[in-house]
Amino acid sequence: MSRSTKAKSLIYPLPLFQRLADIRARRAEAGRAFVPGFDASPRRVTWTDVLPLLWSVGSVAIITAILFALDEPIAANLVPIAYLIPVIFAATRWGVWSGTLASLAAIAAADFFFFTPLYSLRVDSPQEAIDLLVFLIVALVSSNLASRLQQETERLRRREREIQHLYEFSKRLAACFTISDLIDAIRHYLARTLGQRAALFVASAGGHFESSPGSGAAPPSVQESVAAMMVAVGATDRSVVDEQTQDVWLLRAIGSKTVVHGVIAINVGRGTHDAIKSRARRIEAVLEEVSLTLQRLDIGKAMDDARLHLQAELLRDAFHGTLSHELCSPLAAIQGSVSVMREMPAVAADDRLRSLTEAVADEVVRLDGHIRNLLNATRVTAGGLTPRLEWSDPRDIVNAAVKARARRLAAHRLEIGFDDDLPLLNVDSGLVEEACGQLLENAAKYSPSGSTISVQTRHEAGRIVMAIIDQGVGVTPDEQRHLGRKSFRSPRHQASVPGSGLGFWIASTFIRAHDGSVEVVSRGQGLGTTASILLSAQHAIDSELVTCDDE
Amino acid sequence: MSNPRNLVLLIDDEPKIRRFLRAGFEIHGFSVVEAENSADGLKIATFNAPDLVILDLGLPDLHGSETLERLRSWSNVPVIVLSVESDEDEKVRLLQAGADDYVVKPFGMAELLARSDAALRRYFKSATENPVVMVGPLSVDLASRAVSLNQTRIKLTRKEYRLLHVLAVHVGLVVTHDQLLKEIWTGNQRDNIQYLRILVRKLRQKIETDPNQPRLLVTESGVGYRLENRLETSVAN
Repeated sequence: MSRSTKAKSLIYPLPLFQRLADIRARRAEAGRAFVPGFDASPRRVTWTDVLPLLWSVGSVAIITAILFALDEPIAANLVPIAYLIPVIFAATRWGVWSGTLASLAAIAAADFFFFTPLYSLRVDSPQEAIDLLVFLIVALVSSNLASRLQQETERLRRREREIQHLYEFSKRLAACFTISDLIDAIRHYLARTLGQRAALFVASAGGHFESSPGSGAAPPSVQESVAAMMVAVGATDRSVVDEQTQDVWLLRAIGSKTVVHGVIAINVGRGTHDAIKSRARRIEAVLEEVSLTLQRLDIGKAMDDARLHLQAELLRDAFHGTLSHELCSPLAAIQGSVSVMREMPAVAADDRLRSLTEAVADEVVRLDGHIRNLLNATRVTAGGLTPRLEWSDPRDIVNAAVKARARRLAAHRLEIGFDDDLPLLNVDSGLVEEACGQLLENAAKYSPSGSTISVQTRHEAGRIVMAIIDQGVGVTPDEQRHLGRKSFRSPRHQASVPGSGLGFWIASTFIRAHDGSVEVVSRGQGLGTTASILLSAQHAIDSELVTCDDE
Repeated sequence: MSNPRNLVLLIDDEPKIRRFLRAGFEIHGFSVVEAENSADGLKIATFNAPDLVILDLGLPDLHGSETLERLRSWSNVPVIVLSVESDEDEKVRLLQAGADDYVVKPFGMAELLARSDAALRRYFKSATENPVVMVGPLSVDLASRAVSLNQTRIKLTRKEYRLLHVLAVHVGLVVTHDQLLKEIWTGNQRDNIQYLRILVRKLRQKIETDPNQPRLLVTESGVGYRLENRLETSVAN
């Protein structure tokens, strides 16, 4: 279509506007006027521009020749109608200017060859003058209508093609299962519809964008903007003017608010604001399809995640099974054998044998504890911790924890106390017991033999507190900060006290699964530690409220 | 209570476990037969008529719980299950399927022997035998419903007695929450474990020396309760 030479107001985003102002200023320095988006210098006339005009005149000449060959009375009647043929032909074929030229050529030819005086452009009779004038008007109007019809047809055809492309594109998108499928589909579509006018930048694994192979090349200024879009999270769409060619480039991000998978850069040339807008609209349609596909792919990704989770779970189960069988069975055999040996009269009679057997028994219990910790840790990290809630007596939980760790606590003096009004707790008694046991074990580990470990269970301020108080090495403020981290072991004890650093982490995770917490308080190094399990009383039920329906 | 020549059938695929079990039982005067899989175990159970079966859950040919079911279809010989899992639901299922008790690996021989004794005692108890269950300072006369602590009669409410009665009948063996709830309550109260917890507290107040650290009426976490029959226990494992 012909380019409008009249400047229309262009509405660009602000950065672009500033950019244009810069360019204009530079241009002004160079002594040249510049209007953004339009030709600054007159376009060179090419052969293809002139050919339609020649054809228009030529077709008038052909009709003239045919009319000339016919008998005069027939020709005279046909003249006005016959000359409309080249006019409409030219207008539909080459547009309104060719049509107008054909109209003028036709009126001139008619006047010259068929109106008296013949072979002269002079018109004598007013009647003929009116005829010619009417013909001219009809010719011009027809040419105008014909060319508009042609434009409309052309526009519809293009639109149909676009829709066809878009349809094929969306069909292709429907078959996309990964982001790279999607990028391929976009690349294919851009190459088909826009060719070298579009460039595609794809996010690569290294966190930077790479120009997709097979798509058009973008000038450095555009690449800079693409890089900027990639850095900014939630990148907004941009327009950029390339300084060298003065082409306007539209940049559109492919992706969601949080992830940018790629950027499409489209050279919309130096067209009018409307032309740029219509091209932008086309791209919007494409991007809409893309974003729908991205949403669908997100669902796909979620399903992938679920599958991965399942695999992790299967792996965990396998690990569980293996640990249970391969480690626990030999351990069961050792522990069982030792328990039988201890009862043998020969062993019981010999002090050395007895102490050796006791040592084996102790170590087996410790090993069993480590294995249980590992099992618990896998349970937690695989996300498989769902408390099995049941109303339980806090006394039973504490007593079971103490009993399970009896061997480890044998060297310490134990004080166990309970408030009289302890309510029942709706908890997974196994998990709370394990947490309590872990804290007891830590207390035994980090306090000297013979010292007292006190376990006090209180009901206070709407919660149950199980406090394990030792007279051991205490906790420094620095250690306090790292407590609860998986596998944390204080450098103070790494060499002197064996351990995996899992115990406290398991304890606090198990308690957190009940919306409770584990608090550690120490008056300082060497001044003992108080580790408390806090369970919210919303899990608790007042024992007095439960009537036994007893006499 | 156990007859000196009681025959124990060990069904376990681990030879080393069987070895120590055999030694442990033989020291205490049992005769032992072994089977390394479920099929052999069931065959021996049919022909040798054991007095006690120790059944491992992880057998190569048939899961232990299925073996238990098949055994239970024709025999009520006492069965103690060896389990590696500390899964409470599994324990409850096994007890409901007819196991007399369970021990979780790793375990000490003393623990297994105590369970075995209890199971055998219950199996061989006849109606003519002395109906008084003695546990430490506690004695429960199942016939006259008299309960005394250190030779002093104590008064229990009807539900407290019912609870103690069920546990005393199974002395040394675990009784599941479900079983206790069904024995003591009726209607929809049967499902409410809180009633049971409170009732246990009240009973402990009357029979335990220190109700905060019960030695007679012990809790089996997530499974049920047990009236302990060996009070010398402490660190022995």
